[in-house]
Parts: sequence; C-alpha cells; structure tokens
Amino acid sequence: MTLLHRRLTKADLNELVAEAPQEPVRLSDEHRASLSARFRAVSVPGHRRLDAWGVERAGREGTAFRWSPGSARRVLGNAALRRIAHHEASIRDAVRDELGDQMVRAASGYSRSGSLSHWLASAPHSVIGLVTADAVNWASQLHEISSWLDAPWTIPTSDAYYDVASARTTLRARRDLVVRCDASRVVIRVRSGAPGKSAGPGLRADLTIESLADHDGIAPLRYIGLWPEAGVCLSVDGTIDDLRSGARDLVRTAVAQRRQRTLLAA
Amino acid sequence: MTMTLDSSPLSVVDALRGDRSRRPLIDIASAGGLRSLLEDGIFAIIGAERLDAPLVVRASSLQQHFATTDLSMSSAGRIRGILIGQILRLLSVGMSIDHAFDDAVAAWRSEVGVNDLMAQFDALDDDDRARLATDVEAHCVTLTRALGEIPAQWMPRSNVRASQRLAGGNVVLRDVVDLMVGTSTSEVASIALFDVTTSPLGEGAERSMRYHALVQTLRSSVMPLRTCTFSSATGETWIRDVDYELLARSVEDVLANVADQWSVR
Repeated sequence: MTLLHRRLTKADLNELVAEAPQEPVRLSDEHRASLSARFRAVSVPGHRRLDAWGVERAGREGTAFRWSPGSARRVLGNAALRRIAHHEASIRDAVRDELGDQMVRAASGYSRSGSLSHWLASAPHSVIGLVTADAVNWASQLHEISSWLDAPWTIPTSDAYYDVASARTTLRARRDLVVRCDASRVVIRVRSGAPGKSAGPGLRADLTIESLADHDGIAPLRYIGLWPEAGVCLSVDGTIDDLRSGARDLVRTAVAQRRQRTLLAA
Repeated sequence: MTMTLDSSPLSVVDALRGDRSRRPLIDIASAGGLRSLLEDGIFAIIGAERLDAPLVVRASSLQQHFATTDLSMSSAGRIRGILIGQILRLLSVGMSIDHAFDDAVAAWRSEVGVNDLMAQFDALDDDDRARLATDVEAHCVTLTRALGEIPAQWMPRSNVRASQRLAGGNVVLRDVVDLMVGTSTSEVASIALFDVTTSPLGEGAERSMRYHALVQTLRSSVMPLRTCTFSSATGETWIRDVDYELLARSVEDVLANVADQWSVR
C-alpha cells in the first residue's frame, strides 16, 4: 500500500502533489461489474449509502444526521470559495451571498423539506450568525491551503457519487480541491479533528469511489487527506492495489452494516 | 513587548494590528525545534513506555494548580464562558447582537444539541437564569465595546481547534482559540490569537496565552505574531508579541504539567 504521512506545510503539500505517480490507472467495465456483483451479494432492504466515514467506523451506525452550523459549513464554505474564484470578494461577503441564495431558494419554493435551504429559512438570526462563522472558518482554511498550491486547482461543484448498478447502493467520496495534472488529477479532501488508525482505509475508499465516479474510470494520481486541526496530511496513490483494497473495504463495510442491522432486528 | 490596556483608547483589534511596518518576517523554522524540545522533555518524564490512555494537556490544565478552586470552572462559570464565546463568534462575522443572552443560547443550542452542560442549563430555575442573563449581558457590553469592528480582510476565524500528538501519542495537546486573525501565506507574520475569559486576568492567563501560541506554532509550523487575552469581567487586555523565548517558556509549562499528571498516575 502507498500510504504516506507528512506534516501539513506548504512545502510538504506541494511535494505530495508534484511527486504523485505519472501514469493514471483506468478502471474497466469488468472492474465495475465485479464490484456490482459483490454488492448484490450483500443485499439489504431499501437503499444503502456508503462513504469513507462508514469505512472508518467499520459500518457502525452514527447518530442521525441533523443540520447544524458544523454540518452546513463545508457546503457553504466551498460554495463561497467558488464564488470568490469568479468575483473578487471577502470570504465573509461570499459566505453571506451564498446564505442569501440558499434563503431565496427556500422562499421561492425550490427547496425540499430537510434540505439546507429549508433549515436555514427557519433558523433564528443568531443561528444564521453561527452558521456564517463556521462557514467562514471552513472557507478561510481551504483558501489558505489552496493559496499554498503551486499547481492550478479547482473546487468541485459536488462530491463524487457512484451508483452501483443493480445493487441499490450509492457510494460517496468527499473532495474539496482538485489539482489538474495532464491526463489525470490529484484530489484533496479536508477533514476536522485528527486522523485515527482507520484514516488510511477511509482515504482509499474515497480514492476508489472517485475513480468509479469518473465516467472514463480514470483514477486520481493521488488522493490527499488533510487534517488542519492536527497539522498533518496523509496520501494514497491511485494504484490498482490501492483501488482494489478500497473496494474490498467498501464491501466489508456493507457486510458489517448488514450484520448489525440483522442483530438489531433480532 | 507586553502591553497592558486597562483603559482602552483604541479597540483590541487596533492593538492587535499594531504597526504594520514593524512586523517581523514569517518564522517557519522554529516549530521543529520546539517539537524536539517537547519530545525530549516528555521522554525524560515518561520514557519509552506506551500508555493506554494519553495524558491530555489543555489551556485550562495550565490555568491553576490542583489544590486551588477556580469559580470560572464551576458549571455556572462554564456556561457563562460558553455563552460569551458564542457572542464573540457572532461579533467576528459582523452580526449585530440585540439580545445577548437569548442570541447566545440559541447559537449554543444549535451547535451542540443536547449535552450535560446544556441539561444543567435547562435545569436552572427562573432566578438563576435571570442572574445568568444579566451577567452575560454585562460581559457582552464589555466585550463589544473593547473589540471594535473586525475587518473581513483580516480573515477572522472563531473557535479554532488544534490537537497535537506527541511522543507517539502518549501526550496530546488540545487547544481552542476563541478568535484568530491574519494569514500564514503572507511574507510577514500576521496571525494574532485572541482569547476571551470571563474571569479576571491572573498568572494562569499568561500561561494560556503562551500555550495558544505554542500549539498554533506546532499545528501550522508558522509562528503567530501576537497572542492576546481579554477579560470580559474587568475589560483588561494583555497582548504579547510571540517570539522563541515565549514559546520555549510554554514548552516548560507543558512539561511541568505532564510531569504533574504523570506523578499522580
């Protein structure tokens, strides 16, 4: 496996990007079919969603999702930075504009119940203030990291999603910055807290999902996870071994989830 | 340089900004040396043993010695501190505060959901709640007057968390800075750390200021420009320029705390 551990500094981050492997790996239709067959063998009633966090928690269910300033910050912060890329503005103003757009969406009836727009529209003044503060924190952090990068980068408009054919399974990979390198890319994702023992498998799961979500199946040259609170970064290379390992971890997580649901039902 | 501002002719933000032309070049070389000092010091205390649970150092661990009682660490004091922290977060993004107590409580509730401290807050009777509300309003007035407007160009970030594992995970330094301004991407040092306490300033506050600067240096490998602590109880502000000597003293504070914790294990 190709897990690398570095301190999160400008020099180390640029080195990780510059020294990524040169030749990208390509996933074939056979790879996709094989993964689909494995997920179909682990069927569950209803739809299943899997991501790196699930892999890191070995399939254990967490608390139910609820919107909060903390859970809204990444969506708003990344959107604010995309705005700044097109129109020069302070981060604070860009976050406010993004919040304004979300609220307009809710007011004009385009938001569904449970969406971020819907929650923001009913949130009190002070909660909007805290949402702004958290989104500004996130955007400032990502802005600082992106300004370290020597290579050109973009902020993707969404995470990577892949629906596994006939397996009622959706995979999601977090991605915050994409650095273009000739035929492929290096993907950077940012997480809060400090990396645990399962951070490597989580990163490999994101690498695999990102590769599957690419319509040509081209894997990123390297997937870099940043933990700014701890000041460290980890990376995995887009090798076929890492992709296989990521796919295995995702299937294992599906198995673990099904086992836990069976136990709960019993 | 140490500045003590007991009556504020200028806002804390202006004091943090200081004279721009006299800022030193950014220091990205000291973090490695400080980390080595800590690693060597911890090895001298704990040795090569692998601990089941790490020794955790926080700014509050350095505030007082074990035998003393600090009223700010009581439940009421902690709730008041959290609510003032929420108000600072709202002020950092230019929100107007109309009803300090209600705004702070709503913000806190949205952030944490349900926890022990929130349950204690919910259990307060009307008299205690009214007393707390009055207290928070008074602290808020002091804070708002002193802080002044924070320019968006300063990239203010509130409630900035940091965590550093040392000695193979035997010791973990945890920290939360109430407000951080400035960037590590400029050629001169510009990061300033601002901490609010609802207690009067004392010797412990000095150690906390140093600790914030140390943990931020270890986290980002960039030495901050200034570290500051403000008491919303007295309106007093302490500001220190960060240099290697200050950070080395904080290393000694941390090692002393690790030794204390190790001796009672």
